[in-house]
Amino acid sequence: MTVKRQLSMVMDLNKCIGCQTCTAACKLMWTNRNGREFMYWNNVESQPGKGYPRDYENMGGGFDADGALRLGRQPSQEDYGIPWEYNYEEALMTGTDPWLRPNVKPTWGANWDEDEGTGDYPNSYYFYLPRLCNHCANPACLAACTRNAIYKRQEDGIVLVDQERCRGYRYCVNACPYKKIYFNEEISKSEKCIFCYPRIEKGLPTACAQQCVGRIRWIGYRDDEDGPIHQLVDKYKVALPLHAEWGTQPNVFYVPPTSPPKFGENGEQLDESRIPLSYLESLFGPRTGEALDTLAEARQAKADGRGSELMDILIGYKHSEMFKLS
Amino acid sequence: MTSQDIKNGLLVNRIGRLTGSLTLAACMLASANALADQSDMNPNVTEIKAWDTVKVSRIPASIYLRTQDDPDDLIWDRVPEYRTALLPAPPVHQSVGLRFEEGSTRTKHLYFQVARSDERFYIRLRWKDATEDRNTTVDRYRDGVAVQYALNDVDTSYMMGSGHDDPVNIWYWRADKEQIENLAAGGYGSTTTLPQQNVSGASAYFTDPVPADREWHVVMSRPFESDGEYAVNLDRETVPMGFAVWQGSDNERDGNKRVTHTWILLDTSLDSDTAK
Repeated sequence: MTVKRQLSMVMDLNKCIGCQTCTAACKLMWTNRNGREFMYWNNVESQPGKGYPRDYENMGGGFDADGALRLGRQPSQEDYGIPWEYNYEEALMTGTDPWLRPNVKPTWGANWDEDEGTGDYPNSYYFYLPRLCNHCANPACLAACTRNAIYKRQEDGIVLVDQERCRGYRYCVNACPYKKIYFNEEISKSEKCIFCYPRIEKGLPTACAQQCVGRIRWIGYRDDEDGPIHQLVDKYKVALPLHAEWGTQPNVFYVPPTSPPKFGENGEQLDESRIPLSYLESLFGPRTGEALDTLAEARQAKADGRGSELMDILIGYKHSEMFKLS
Repeated sequence: MTSQDIKNGLLVNRIGRLTGSLTLAACMLASANALADQSDMNPNVTEIKAWDTVKVSRIPASIYLRTQDDPDDLIWDRVPEYRTALLPAPPVHQSVGLRFEEGSTRTKHLYFQVARSDERFYIRLRWKDATEDRNTTVDRYRDGVAVQYALNDVDTSYMMGSGHDDPVNIWYWRADKEQIENLAAGGYGSTTTLPQQNVSGASAYFTDPVPADREWHVVMSRPFESDGEYAVNLDRETVPMGFAVWQGSDNERDGNKRVTHTWILLDTSLDSDTAK
């Protein structure tokens, strides 16, 4: 699907500290009410982990090798996690309940397996993976909608649901392999990340990027050769899409996480990274190793005092250089 | 005594022994109901095929309907009942095709009755459904039924109409809200809610010890005079009409449905064939 310009985001996973400030910014702005309580248009999951909704990577959707839609499994409410409230009034104000407790029995939630990771000490590992709608160039949600209720804006490639046209069939929820489109039971329509377009139209970055304390997010147009997206994705090739094999051509890219060496049986450092390359490749594709090598070289150059344009971009000195919205 | 009687009797006995006489009485009522609905074999039900004409029955002015759209009103015992077969709708979009059972010939019988008073047109629909799906949640789908009318003549495609020039008017009952949506479409993917929502209706789900005998009754009605550009004009010689049923428990929605293939012709004139 060709658009005039494509807004994109890059996230450096080496800088993400999993603080969920992005999640909170997004939720407070868009999804803390009116049937959206269970939705996280932006979430940060610990990987390896089941993600949100639970086990979404094995739910299907996306496209097959021939470009046909693949049928997926519809997530259940439990897969998302049923939102709960606490009895603050009874427990803390009137004292009619001696316990502060949730009003439903929590069994799963967006961040249920936070920091669990995998592997055995001293080689256990995890990293944080923030996820939002990828505003794909070939959106499966758009292809799946039988009513043309989903469209991609010509001016910036943001993918939106026309709430007037949506009749709540949920083909889009099924088709999005990232499960970043949600069904609102209160209004019987589907909703998703809007890339904070009302902010974008005022020249402001998305709430998740603006609030990010780790300064891991860059926003800009892919065709802006001086902008950060082009530099990171196309020039230095250190930012990669998540699960490109699903065929949707995401416009959110990730700088894969580097990790310290693995320890051998006698405590010696081995010549392999703590986070197995094969695992990272399963997420970010076959070019992950090259990206990690480029990062290692740039770091070394910076450490040696030789200077590195790539490292200067990744450090993100100024918001004005991280967000290029014109 | 039919095999159905025996089946019902056995069930009554089994359940009655287990749960006592109160349940027994309830089941006997249910059983009687099931007997009354042996309409697959009922000679009083007329089989309707595509292109057949059905005539409305008169609801005389002397009959007062206590509740306008009562799906179980006694009046319906006095109005001829028709039966027609619904077949899976041909998929017209990848998303529907992905969920379409290739080679499926699953038919569903829909029973319908049509009646009118001087002011109002009524249609009552009845079909078997083992599950009452009244919820629309992230992974559950509601039951539904719809009547579609061609605004123009029978050249209109029965698959949601043919573009701007030959649209259809659709009355859609959804089990999650006790309401009828008054819609129009001109080709698939174009279903649009109309500004004038003047179709009313109500439903009742009749349960039965035998799941296969459980069924929905839905009545929809509208003032006989049409109001609005896309509201079907009922005051003409014949009105092309079709039906669709969605089974929520089979994840049916949108084009995943069973429908009348082509049209049934509705004759709304009142010169004869009135309810006695």
